[in-house]
Amino acid sequence: MTTQTSDVEARMPAAASGPRLRAGGLLTVLVTLLVLLVLSLLVGSTVIAPSVVWDALFHPSADIDQYSIRDYRVPRTAVGLVVGMALGAAGALIQALTRNPLADTGVLGLSAGSSFAVTVAVGVLGIRDISGYMWFAFAGALIVTIMVLLLGSTRSGQSPGVMVLAGVCVGAVLGGASSALQLTNPDAFDAMRSWAAGSILGRPLDVMWPVVPFFAVALVLAFAVSGPLNAMALGDEIAAAQGVALNRTRVLAIIAITLLAGGATAIAGPIGFVGLMVPHVARWFVGPNQRWIFAYSILLAPSLLLASDIVGRIAMRPTEIPVGVVTAFIGAPVLIALVRRRKASGL
Amino acid sequence: MRFARPRRHSAALVAALLGAAILLAGCGGDDSDDQGDAAAATRTVEADNGTVEIPAHPQRVATLGRLTLSFLDLGGKPVGVTEVDAPVVGLLPAEQQAAYKAAKLLGSSASEADLELLATLKPDLILFSAPDSDFDQMKSQLESIAPTIYFGFSSDWKTRLSVTADATGLTDALNEQKSEYDETLAEFKKKYSEIIKTTRFGEVNRGSWQDPGMFSLNGSQCSEIARADVPLNIPDLGEGGEERSFERIGDLSEYDVLIYPVDVEGKVAEGFVPVAESNGWKALPAVTSGKALGVYCFGDISFTRSYRTYSQYLDSLGQALAKLAPAG
Repeated sequence: MTTQTSDVEARMPAAASGPRLRAGGLLTVLVTLLVLLVLSLLVGSTVIAPSVVWDALFHPSADIDQYSIRDYRVPRTAVGLVVGMALGAAGALIQALTRNPLADTGVLGLSAGSSFAVTVAVGVLGIRDISGYMWFAFAGALIVTIMVLLLGSTRSGQSPGVMVLAGVCVGAVLGGASSALQLTNPDAFDAMRSWAAGSILGRPLDVMWPVVPFFAVALVLAFAVSGPLNAMALGDEIAAAQGVALNRTRVLAIIAITLLAGGATAIAGPIGFVGLMVPHVARWFVGPNQRWIFAYSILLAPSLLLASDIVGRIAMRPTEIPVGVVTAFIGAPVLIALVRRRKASGL
Repeated sequence: MRFARPRRHSAALVAALLGAAILLAGCGGDDSDDQGDAAAATRTVEADNGTVEIPAHPQRVATLGRLTLSFLDLGGKPVGVTEVDAPVVGLLPAEQQAAYKAAKLLGSSASEADLELLATLKPDLILFSAPDSDFDQMKSQLESIAPTIYFGFSSDWKTRLSVTADATGLTDALNEQKSEYDETLAEFKKKYSEIIKTTRFGEVNRGSWQDPGMFSLNGSQCSEIARADVPLNIPDLGEGGEERSFERIGDLSEYDVLIYPVDVEGKVAEGFVPVAESNGWKALPAVTSGKALGVYCFGDISFTRSYRTYSQYLDSLGQALAKLAPAG
């Protein structure tokens, strides 16, 4: 494993920092995340004094403002943290696995699978509550993953290129089927309209908790495969020569991606750009070492998500903008700027 | 496949209608000549698509899109309709449901209507409502089948009803509905004059299509009527009201009385349940003091705006206010 890491370190661009600086940077990102967590509790579409926020958390009473903190700001902050971590890790894994810096959950058909399953749940089965149809979103992502794994199998094992093609194809078919269902079923269309925007508002903690164990397993898997993925970045032959089990690594990575992206989409709907953009930023700071990229991504992504959510709360007071819309607004120009720094952000 | 009705078919249709009219006139009494003239005569009405020449007394009206509900509400019996959402049909009075079910179903929406099937129904008037872009695409095909009255989604409901009633010979029904509404309104104003003068109302709404954490304030079409016609003191927050997140439920403390949506049976409307079950709502002064009132508002669904549905709304609002305080 030391050999894998040192090989990767050797390929790092000059902009990449040494281990001490990277650790310092990671600490800075962690502090930023903690500040944003506090801001997420303090700032909202209505002005509530910090003392009330404090009392809501530590001296609870039946005050309406305290309910606003406990019932809405605390859950959306927790959901933003968890969903952000999942999206960041999933994005980093997908880009490493496919060796494609523009890959995101859409490339493997996961978003389309989740959307189709939610459309069926709402439009055909009449399930309206998010705690009901979130499991369909999760199941949709899992089923698509299995299809992509099967379709992406070649005689020599899993091929990233064939998997991406399979994912895009399955995604296109399911996207068309979802559109057809929504166009013929106004109820499904109405329900999908808010879900498809991507939001962490109004998701109670009991929607989030059941998914957290899946995220925990997926994060362990993600870190476990980060070393082998470092080796695979040098090429399959070199990785195989270093003892990396290529197929097992790919299958484990896909399982982790599905649990992370499927779970995040199930809770918040499809939130674009976070999983795509954050690994680029991480790579810019730390170079191509997957372990550092994962570590940065799981802290940077929730920071971006929470910052976007805070902006969405105050930009159009008294109403709010869904976080998925804000990340798209922020994400597009930032991503363009980043991809123009090809040397730093490319794989 | 694009549908194009040859002009000679239109001529044949007019000839057939004329023939039928003459035949009917021959079976009539002394005033039969007048009736024949009337059936053959045309007149003009003003709609969103300009001045439209229509038969003086249309007998076979087809309704495509949301005008179906307006026509049914006036007591019209269409020969062909496009689909109305099942939950909405279920809320219509029995005779309207029967009229809807007796009509030929032409498709799921105005833009998806089967125009060949429509032509076989030989309508003498088409009522059409859909987005402007759909009408622009279908206009020539529709007009080759029969004179077409078009109203877009942003048309004024009173004008829409008035023209629809006038064009289809249902003005008496409209006037009757309006008279009943005026009477209900006058009675309401008299009975609740004190409450109307002294109370500040907040109208809270939430549809199942909204984001899980959002509700609407002072924005329903019923609140617009209550504000304009009663006038109830429901602060005007602009067209459609304001959408706010649940963390702003505390804003509702500023209102003396809160109005929230219930279904026809008086149960909390499905979309509103998350608000009604929230801790913030339950802690509001209006809620704890019994001043949160469930009111049924069918006229908040697109194109269900009518004097009849607003009479129904005022009845429901009156029943709610009666629980609040003694009349006067």
